[in-house]
Amino acid sequence: MNGQKSLGEVLQSLPKQVLYIILIVFTSVPLFFPVKVPNQPLESSVDLYASLMAVKPGETVLFASDWTNSTRGESLGQFNSVMRILMRHNVNVVLYSTGDAQAPRVAQDAIAKLNEERIAAGQKEYKRWENFVSVGFFSNGEATINGMGTSVRSSFNGKKDFAPGRGLTDVYESPILKGREKVSDFPLLIVVTGSKTSNITVERLSGKVPIAFAVTGVMGPETGNFYQSQQIVGFASGLKGLYDLEGLMEDGVNNPDKSGNIAVKSSKYGPIPGFPGEKNDGQGKRYYPTLHFAVGLLILAVIIGNIGMFLSRAGGRK
Amino acid sequence: MYPLFTYDGIKVTCGVLATVGLYSVLYRENKFYRFFEHLFLGLAAGWTLLTIWVENLKGPWWDIMVGVPPEKAGDPIGNGNWAYILLLPLGLMGYMVFSKKHNWMSRIPIGIILGLWSGQQIQIWYNTYGKQIAGTAQPIWPTTWSSLTVPNYDKLQLAPDALAAAKSQVYLSQAITNFLFLVTVVCVLSYFLFSFDAKSKMVKSASSLGRYLLMIGFGAIFGSTVLMRFTLLIDRMYFIWIEWFNNIILNRH
Amino acid sequence: MNLFLQSKVPNFWAQPFNSQGIWMGVLGGLLVGILIFLGLMFMPAQFRRPVVAFCTFIGGAYWVLLYIFPAPIDLQKTEMPTGPVESIGKWLTDANPVVVSISGTVTAFMLGLGIFSLLSIHLKRISRRQKDWAYSVILLVSLVSMAFFGYADYISRQGPDGTKLDLQANWGFVNYGRDLLFDGLLQQMDAAMFSVIAFYILSAAYRAFRIRSIEATILLSTALLVILSLMGAVAFVWNDAVKNMANGNDFLMNFQLTEIAGWIRRTFETSSLRGIAFGVGIGALAMGLRIWLSLERTGGGA
Repeated sequence: MNGQKSLGEVLQSLPKQVLYIILIVFTSVPLFFPVKVPNQPLESSVDLYASLMAVKPGETVLFASDWTNSTRGESLGQFNSVMRILMRHNVNVVLYSTGDAQAPRVAQDAIAKLNEERIAAGQKEYKRWENFVSVGFFSNGEATINGMGTSVRSSFNGKKDFAPGRGLTDVYESPILKGREKVSDFPLLIVVTGSKTSNITVERLSGKVPIAFAVTGVMGPETGNFYQSQQIVGFASGLKGLYDLEGLMEDGVNNPDKSGNIAVKSSKYGPIPGFPGEKNDGQGKRYYPTLHFAVGLLILAVIIGNIGMFLSRAGGRK
Repeated sequence: MYPLFTYDGIKVTCGVLATVGLYSVLYRENKFYRFFEHLFLGLAAGWTLLTIWVENLKGPWWDIMVGVPPEKAGDPIGNGNWAYILLLPLGLMGYMVFSKKHNWMSRIPIGIILGLWSGQQIQIWYNTYGKQIAGTAQPIWPTTWSSLTVPNYDKLQLAPDALAAAKSQVYLSQAITNFLFLVTVVCVLSYFLFSFDAKSKMVKSASSLGRYLLMIGFGAIFGSTVLMRFTLLIDRMYFIWIEWFNNIILNRH
Repeated sequence: MNLFLQSKVPNFWAQPFNSQGIWMGVLGGLLVGILIFLGLMFMPAQFRRPVVAFCTFIGGAYWVLLYIFPAPIDLQKTEMPTGPVESIGKWLTDANPVVVSISGTVTAFMLGLGIFSLLSIHLKRISRRQKDWAYSVILLVSLVSMAFFGYADYISRQGPDGTKLDLQANWGFVNYGRDLLFDGLLQQMDAAMFSVIAFYILSAAYRAFRIRSIEATILLSTALLVILSLMGAVAFVWNDAVKNMANGNDFLMNFQLTEIAGWIRRTFETSSLRGIAFGVGIGALAMGLRIWLSLERTGGGA
């Protein structure tokens, strides 16, 4: 032993703090140079967009908002995009959460920010009670969702929200819940989740109501299983799903632009319009290009580590 | 006004300080980190405490138990169901877990929750897996040899009836895919079910093939997890560099 | 027929709000509850396990019965059920809100157990001036502040003009206080805590992700394919190259990155995860049965 490290050993022994600093650089610098990345939306994202756009204006959908800022990077963008579509489409929303005690407040704060954006753009405010109600958090999500399979009203028993001019009032007195007792009375159930509540929902409610998801990247493969067996109608997974959704909001599906080009084609659907000119870009457009650099760094790190291992082995055999 | 001195400026600055404080653990554990760690735990516990009462006990328990006042004169008075008070001693039994002598009583409410969970497992099994089982057993023999792969329907320009008929066929490539799908499910399942020392050579081979195929699933999960975790980090970097440094400190939008 | 706990008409079980009857009922119920509590405390040890097993069984029995028992078909609210089968079916359906309420309430009490435990540990640490007791003070102060501002914010929204507080322009002191603690600190720290893992993943991938076996090679290849196929720029370059090479050949077009990744996802990824799901499902069903019937010693046994 001469105390000097071989090249293989050097390649395998970068200090972790150096790696961390490189990661910070790779995930920070590209943020200052936003670029548009070409994209082909996944079929599951197109199906999610189509199912949201298929809900008729004036209808009410169930919306499980089961995320907090722990998955803000993906879930906030997904929530904003789905809500923007529903708001522009004049669809009413019944918000509930089974995943986390903080989730209802986070969702309401996000809606408040979207409302400020709408008011600034001269659009109608999306009002509590008239357009959305927040049913709140359920500590026993499994039992609540299972109970919804029999009756939504019974699962929401005793739940209240703030009604204008009335204060705290039973959610079932809201006009948007009138006549909607069973889960099948709702045209769609949307789940935006940072945890496994998507699974709990499919297990208990699939077949009773069309279900669509926006899940984190981790849950993407598992959710793909439900999608392939047609237990859900569509889903967006992670940042890629969000970027798909933002692109679809701009381009629509089978929807020719002014020069007649169709950006997203699908043999499943007729023309579905987008919302060109409105605020469609969000976290997807802001983060997706930077993700390429972070992923590139990871691949590079794995390659360097493996080259180091092979060089060390080759050196050992000599 | 310079944005740092507005409410939003102060709020974002607090968030950045807290983020950097928690990140400081990456160097090593320190007092700055421990301060924010305890702040985080305290705030989270405080919010949970609030939610337990406001969202889960006030409306769905207390108000049902004592009833609700009429909203305006002439409205019917809401009845209360006093029997709900029995849930209080039942819930408090859980707190007997701290008693050395009577900690067994905490198993009563836990037993009820577990019972409710177990009853649902029996109820939800078919709803969860029925469609997946049907989706796994797809045709593994082609119904047509007119094309080995699925034709490009756009190019064929068929009439709607003919197009539907063409789409209903099982082509060789689809049959192979269906077969591979079935084999993968069976092998992975056999790896799980026959984890003990199986004697049959076929079961052994299926299980070891299942182990390799399982790695495909794990690889996909790993890939997706990496993307998610990096996205969460990018979000924090955006918060620090764009929302705080660029928008507030540099006052650029 | 309504379940006794849902009756709209006053009776023994249901009494009007703020009436003498309701408070007498609550007091009487509390007394009965305390007696049951005390009775259980002093119950002989041999009865403990059957009591826990009984409670577990009753908890699970409702959902099982609701699933297997025929529900009344198209029975209107104004109609009475005919025959015992329809009556039991309707009774089970009517019991749904009560069961959901009981589930939520009992779980909420159990959630409180975590906070109680946290409080007792940190209060003990402060009272005994143990090492790092100052951090416990920070924890308690932040806990109380969050609960206070959160509740004050909730109360401020209860008035007739409460919905106006959905816009920041109408906020008062407590609303700003809640927002600073919840959105300004708690949520940002929540995001920071979960994002730290990215650093560890990079470090672990660099140090441990080695192509040493067939399993590791398969895992690494699949992960790489999934990652690259979800990167729009990479997929665009690859697909464009294939399109140029294929020159209209449908078969060659199958070699686009998105097509290959899609096929692997549909054929191997979903199927392997489905295999895992079936295994887990069988396990969960077996475990469910064992817990429900108290055959699992670690479950409901005393």
